[in-house]
Amino acid sequence: MYPIWEVPNLSAGIVLALMATFHILPSHLSVSAIWFNVYVETKAYRENRPELLEFIKKYSLLLLVFSYVLGSLSGIGIWYSATVANPRGISGLIHNYVWGWATEWVFFIIEVIGIFIYYYTLGKVDKKTHLKIGWIFAIGSWTTMVIIVGILAFMLSSGKWPETGNFFDGFFNQTYWSQLLMRTTLMFGIAAAYAIAVATRIKNADVRAFITKTASRWGIAGLILGSILFLWYLKTLPDANRMLITVLAPQGLKTGIIVSSGVLVLYFIYANVKPLGIRLVPAILAIAVLFGGIWSTERIREMIRKPYIISQYMYSNQIIGKDVIAKGVSAEAKIINEKGILKFAPFVPDGLREINEGNQVQVGKMIALIECSSCHVFDEKGLRAMPQMVKRLGFKEAEAVEGFLDGLGGYPYMPPFVGTAAERKALATYLVSLNK
Amino acid sequence: MEIGTMLKALQDPMGIPFYPVVFQALMVLTFALHIMFVNFTLGTSFLSVYGYLKGGENWTRLSRSLARATTVNISVAMLLGVAPLLFVQVVYDPFWYASNMLSAAWVIGFIFIMMLAYSLTYVFYLKRDHKTGGGFAIFGIIAFALFLLSGIIMHALGYQLLQPEKWLNWYTKGNFIDTSGTSLHAFQLPRFLHFIIPSFAMTGIFLMLYAWYFKNRADFDKGYLEWVGKTGAKMAFIFTAIQAVVGFWWLFSLPAGFSFFTNPFFLIGAALGIALLVFLYNAQKDPVKYAVPGVLGAFLTIFGMSYAREALRMKYLGRFDYSIFNYKLNIDWGSTALFLATFVMGLAIIGYLLSVAYKSGRVAGEYVSTPSMNKWGKISIALLLIWIVVVAGLGIVISVRNYL
Ligand code: HEC
Ligand code: HEM
Repeated sequence: MYPIWEVPNLSAGIVLALMATFHILPSHLSVSAIWFNVYVETKAYRENRPELLEFIKKYSLLLLVFSYVLGSLSGIGIWYSATVANPRGISGLIHNYVWGWATEWVFFIIEVIGIFIYYYTLGKVDKKTHLKIGWIFAIGSWTTMVIIVGILAFMLSSGKWPETGNFFDGFFNQTYWSQLLMRTTLMFGIAAAYAIAVATRIKNADVRAFITKTASRWGIAGLILGSILFLWYLKTLPDANRMLITVLAPQGLKTGIIVSSGVLVLYFIYANVKPLGIRLVPAILAIAVLFGGIWSTERIREMIRKPYIISQYMYSNQIIGKDVIAKGVSAEAKIINEKGILKFAPFVPDGLREINEGNQVQVGKMIALIECSSCHVFDEKGLRAMPQMVKRLGFKEAEAVEGFLDGLGGYPYMPPFVGTAAERKALATYLVSLNK
Repeated sequence: MEIGTMLKALQDPMGIPFYPVVFQALMVLTFALHIMFVNFTLGTSFLSVYGYLKGGENWTRLSRSLARATTVNISVAMLLGVAPLLFVQVVYDPFWYASNMLSAAWVIGFIFIMMLAYSLTYVFYLKRDHKTGGGFAIFGIIAFALFLLSGIIMHALGYQLLQPEKWLNWYTKGNFIDTSGTSLHAFQLPRFLHFIIPSFAMTGIFLMLYAWYFKNRADFDKGYLEWVGKTGAKMAFIFTAIQAVVGFWWLFSLPAGFSFFTNPFFLIGAALGIALLVFLYNAQKDPVKYAVPGVLGAFLTIFGMSYAREALRMKYLGRFDYSIFNYKLNIDWGSTALFLATFVMGLAIIGYLLSVAYKSGRVAGEYVSTPSMNKWGKISIALLLIWIVVVAGLGIVISVRNYL
């Protein structure tokens, strides 16, 4: 257990969510756009339409600057913010999936070198060679998705891994295929939305109409297939997680998904019928709508993982909840209940390791930081603010709150309280002190 | 809690999926590559501003090339930073995470600082023309300053990590704890400079390479290239000499108990450094001829020094009986094989991409691939497809076995 980072009102978890959300726009573009590019470039050469290359140049510059400047940095940013939000969680992932990430890194290099060379050699190398670079870049970049989906899906549904401890059992888990195919088809929808936006900057009307029409077909197909696969994905979710969609996910997010896909299908149909009718601002708005849809889905995916950070292994508050016998790892509840969390966690001030009459509230706060701060802030307002929770339940007496803490693990989304009876009392005293 | 016990408790209970020496070697190798491109980034970024402000035909032209080079260098530096970032967390997780948590706000700040620096670098490269005046240099100056700040953060994180005996003091004030993560707690000037000064030496070598690479291009002026080469060789030599002095300063500021000056890794690193200095002295006569061996020699030196840095880390952490060689093992052959195979395949493909770039840049007009290059390209694509087929096949077999 490491030191804790508190972000006033927000929590480190929300910093991570913001970073991840921000990352979606450039990263999904980077995987998808090049497919569209290679398709158009092939057409340009086959049908001898050099004017299409203007689009290629513009679209790949967007890719280079937007995806690879902001995309790769925010990607590293997700990793950094996951680290400071939940160091033991990321450590658990890395100690299982380090070679997966290292494999991903190889493709990441291919991708980044690929885009630079693709952009800078357009028109400077022969056509066939340029297309080859495009293909390498396209396949390599989709492969990064093949890998990262395995690790993402693992966090939500760890498959047979808790029994076998095997890398591939966790990787190819029950939601892997549905998620990979869903993301792959949706990615074409994303590429299409960006392509239409870039096309609005093209002067040649024929080119513009051609790009917009083609893109809109990609968009419709991608969205419709993606929605069907989304339903399949929901079916593959473990029951406990699917249940949390009903319990935890706000209606707003669910509506967000449905509305944004509906609006986008209409938008693509319109673009197909009147390709020249679309200007830059609406095209950017369409991207924003798309973003809203993705954001809603990703937020829900994060929410329904509770109370775990790594499914069936580690709780969000970094306490190991279940044995993984194959790896020689034991759950920590027992030892913490015996020794006490204050002795178990290394980063506790010496004066708080023993509980006495004078330090109850302080100790309670320390315990709350360790066990609750991954999901609650302690300011008056903010993410599931603890004072509000406490007021909502009208906590007045420490004894009653101790009973509540005993039953904490009964909530489908909260890990159980762990620690000694004296520690539970101190935490209860602290919680009561918030109700004023 | 006793520090050695604490470190053991912090280690990930999952253990590591392969022998620690392999992770260590990969970490050092990729760190050496990372820091080399960090050096290219800082140096080209600085020199592109210097050249812009200095003006004159040669400097203006060079400044433009270097501004463009910075955009690529920073990308590569990041790319190569990801690997040691991964491997350090595998074998040094207690240290890495504790250090990051203690300065968490800076860890996040780092990302935004980099984004800003990177964007400004693009502005400085793409938006300049003959009308932009001296004030325009501010974009480049701020970008450079932010790169430097990124380096300071990296250094603080890397140095805090070596001092577990101070962590609790940094975190707690009496019975209160500081969860803001807004402080950087440790900084050691000679160590920091030892990573930064080489930027100018390496950029000198970068200029020598530039002169070498473009020497056969008809559209490049001979006098200009000669000037670039000579300037580069001079820079490389002077700053390598300064670097040697800083190195000894760092050495003497280390805790005496380490006796680091007798450490074999240090001795090899230092010997390589001195050899490089002699080599660069000779390079003054004909920078172009010395360019390629120069960059190889410089990389070798950096690699040796990176191993010395790792040996130093082992000294620091050995004080608490921490050794990565005692890490719990949970060997996983499958995923290790996946990585190694992908890595070898990746080298072949990356080799193809870089060859196209290299060859096309050397001709003024359109580059037409030779049949053997075409073949290499086809093989690269085939390799990628085979990879997908193999991995998907494996996935299908596993899914059928587990779920059907
Ligand atoms: C895995 C995340 C997570 C952790 C860890 C967690 N909680 Fe919660 N908690 C939640 C969620 C989600 C809710 C529901 C929020 C809402 O209803 O707005 C909640 C609600 C509550 C409520 C209100 C319950 C109700 O019935 O309305 C209290 C009180 C509470 N938590 C206390 C705690 C305490 C004390 C801890 C630490 C021992 C803790 N929580 C740890 C996620 C968590
Ligand atoms: C221009 C930007 C950057 C600069 C100037 C820079 C500079 C440095 C320096 C000076 C060190 C050595 C610190 C020391 O040991 O005292 C270092 C180490 C390191 N950097 Fe960077 N860096 C930059 C960007 C990055 C990025 C983007 C990443 C991540 C992708 C990264 C990852 C690392 C890692 C993992 C280490 C090694 C840590 C260790 O082994 O202790 N760096 N960097």
